[in-house]
Amino acid sequence: MTALPRPPAPSRRNLLRAGLAGAGLMTLAACRSAVEHSRSAAADVDGAGSPRKGGVLSVAAAIDITPSLLFAQSANVLVQRLVFNTLTRYDDRLQPQPELATSWQVAPDGLSVTLKLREDVLFHSGRRFTADDVVFAVRNLQNPARSAQLRSTAATVTDFRKNGDFELTLVLAHPVSNLFDLFEFMIIPDAATIEEAVAGTRLIGTGPFTLTERKPGSSLSFARNERYWNPGRPYLDGVEIRVIPQAESLLSSLRTGQTHLSYNVRGKDAALLRDDPKFHVKQYDTGSGAYYIGVDVTAEHVSDKRVRQAIAWAIDRDRLVQQALGGYGSVSSVPWPKSSPAYTEVGATHYRHDPERARALLREAGAENITLPFAHATEPGPTAIAQILQYDLKQVGIETVLQPADSPTMQKQLISQTMPALWSLSHGFAQLHPATLAVSAYPFNEAKNSSHFSSPAYTDIVQRAWNRSDSDSPETKALYQQITDLLLDEEFVIDLAIAGLVEVTGSRARGVTLNKFGYLNLDDAYLTA
Amino acid sequence: MRTFLLKRLPSALLVLLLASFAVFLILRLIPGDPATSLAGPDASPETVAAIRSQLGLDQPLFSQYAGWLGRLLSGDIGPSYAIGGQVADLIGDGLGATTQLTLGALLLVVLIALPLAVVGATTRSRPVAAVVQAVTTGVLAVPPFVTGVLLVLVFAVSLGLLPAGGHESLLREPDLAVQYLAMPAVCLALPSAAVLARYLKDGIERALAEDYVRTATALGVSRRRIVWRHALPNALPSAITVLGLQVGQLIAGAVLVERIFAWPGLGQLIEQGVIRRDYPVVQDLLLLVVAVYVTVQLLTDLAYTWLDPRIRWE
Repeated sequence: MTALPRPPAPSRRNLLRAGLAGAGLMTLAACRSAVEHSRSAAADVDGAGSPRKGGVLSVAAAIDITPSLLFAQSANVLVQRLVFNTLTRYDDRLQPQPELATSWQVAPDGLSVTLKLREDVLFHSGRRFTADDVVFAVRNLQNPARSAQLRSTAATVTDFRKNGDFELTLVLAHPVSNLFDLFEFMIIPDAATIEEAVAGTRLIGTGPFTLTERKPGSSLSFARNERYWNPGRPYLDGVEIRVIPQAESLLSSLRTGQTHLSYNVRGKDAALLRDDPKFHVKQYDTGSGAYYIGVDVTAEHVSDKRVRQAIAWAIDRDRLVQQALGGYGSVSSVPWPKSSPAYTEVGATHYRHDPERARALLREAGAENITLPFAHATEPGPTAIAQILQYDLKQVGIETVLQPADSPTMQKQLISQTMPALWSLSHGFAQLHPATLAVSAYPFNEAKNSSHFSSPAYTDIVQRAWNRSDSDSPETKALYQQITDLLLDEEFVIDLAIAGLVEVTGSRARGVTLNKFGYLNLDDAYLTA
Repeated sequence: MRTFLLKRLPSALLVLLLASFAVFLILRLIPGDPATSLAGPDASPETVAAIRSQLGLDQPLFSQYAGWLGRLLSGDIGPSYAIGGQVADLIGDGLGATTQLTLGALLLVVLIALPLAVVGATTRSRPVAAVVQAVTTGVLAVPPFVTGVLLVLVFAVSLGLLPAGGHESLLREPDLAVQYLAMPAVCLALPSAAVLARYLKDGIERALAEDYVRTATALGVSRRRIVWRHALPNALPSAITVLGLQVGQLIAGAVLVERIFAWPGLGQLIEQGVIRRDYPVVQDLLLLVVAVYVTVQLLTDLAYTWLDPRIRWE
């Protein structure tokens, strides 16, 4: 019987290769999945009922916070109400509700307001919150270095009268109609760590979450404040804000479940997610700002208000909302969103797309076939808007020379009043009491604005609307209407559309809210299983 | 080697000095400044002026430049204007992440380029040569932001195999870190791998045409041995030079790739610094990049002489 040939013995090299491959496979098998790991933080929820306690909510943000602007409305809105509290918060009808202030009494002459404060509030450092902290918060906003947009309202507070640790009277230089806008806006910081806060190294507040780690440009991590004054809140163990600058990557992070919530999804992307059952898309009509064309009223041609009105008639606002904002926004000739007490349908639709009327006005003003410089920000969204506006203006005989500039440059030009004849940007502060816009938003500021517009009539109406304690009376509303009429007539700021603030949440995130300034409030937020 | 280094050092220092001047000046020529950025929207001109004075931006340019160099030499580079925290800490954190990314990409560059070059140079099959040519050309033609978005769509969104973005430390969580690193490193490595593969392929082809190869073949030395033991080592010096140059490309490419994959490295830091006109962060970072580049070039020259003994240190 012939013996079968023995199979050749494996060479050492082959054995080594097999060993390495086996080790590699075993390592891979034993390896945790980064995909599951990034989702798992949010899966650690307990309890059978709803809402559930536990879990870490992951928020995708397009830009990092700017610590120096902690007390201004800026990219910091994601952290302001997580770490800090405000004195009051508005409900949907702009009625103030208690937060750190439990009750308030405005004097009949409007020259003071007395606040009663919660007595059970501790800062993250363990120190008790008292009236002194409110005094510090107001004085902090009065400091020009803080860049707070409501500084002019804070500056009306001229004196503080304490009645114990938990009652405080603010004495005002004159009555103001937007006092509760200030209380909604003003976060209460810890005086001892204020410099660390504006340096971005330490945030100490009384809010539902404590900052545990900040990786500049990358992420912010928060843990539940176990001594939070609101019983049983927050439900979440923590919050992580991930900075994802690239729009496509931000969308991918939501789609893959790495993040649960974002306010930076582009309109056209949000439109894609709207019909996906895994997402909930919500639009806040309080507005995240309004797009406008600013006009330097001292520049050639546009110094004539008929030319400015012609520009307002020339713009196809519907197309702008559909194409540039993905349908998330509303056309408007006025700065006010629908929730504003100054909003009227007539005002919002005052200027419609009417090229014939625009041409007629230009003929009347002797400004046919003119050329104007037009500045805009270089980001994709503003560039798309500028191109739409350029096309519309060309149809009525206005050639524009686009001057793209990055945001800091635009901002510098805006503040230093060196904008060209036309520019497009967005403004905020129209979502609250109308006087706030005219005294706090730079484009509309009656005292000094980028348009070089000044008018005794405008100053008079704005001051009368601001210097009164009632914000809802028929007289006040008549003043709001006068402001609207003047803005529509003068058109030194040509409003185009109110941008809707788009909130995209994954199917598991619930209970997320924003205040009127867009501060993210996660007191009642939770994650479903 | 010491003489070689001593000869090269003054020119390297001169490059750094000129770079510091260029970086400082270019930043000041860009419209907008840190004060307007810090003052935020709706700030009054008075607020901006106060911040400018506080930061010393109202001082003469030479005085600002001298102050910056003085701080650099003293080792205390101070705080960031807008991003927050100490610049040294910011750079330290970003450097770790970027080093992880660029080293990962560098490894991939070699792993991809080497087989492509060897196959491209030695194959007698026209289709295989055409595929190698197509791959190297195609990879070069597609910009990293397209590659990045495609990778995310396929491997994160569609297949769910890899995270869409983010970062883990290789030292703390190595198994997770490798998965976070995979797509950014591939995205960053592909163009450089294509460049290196082309140079290496040409080098191997030239080496294979040499007389000693014909002699070795006549003596019966195997083709594999000729390629790996003789032709490849002879092609390496010029490839190493290219690889050194590609390190600069990798660092530059990291700016884009880090943005796509939300990778918290120096690229993101530079971008944030430029957008916010955070002069200390941008100045120090750009100078660091120049310093790294100069060092890499020095090391490349050293490696070149080590690989090719015909070249003397002197």
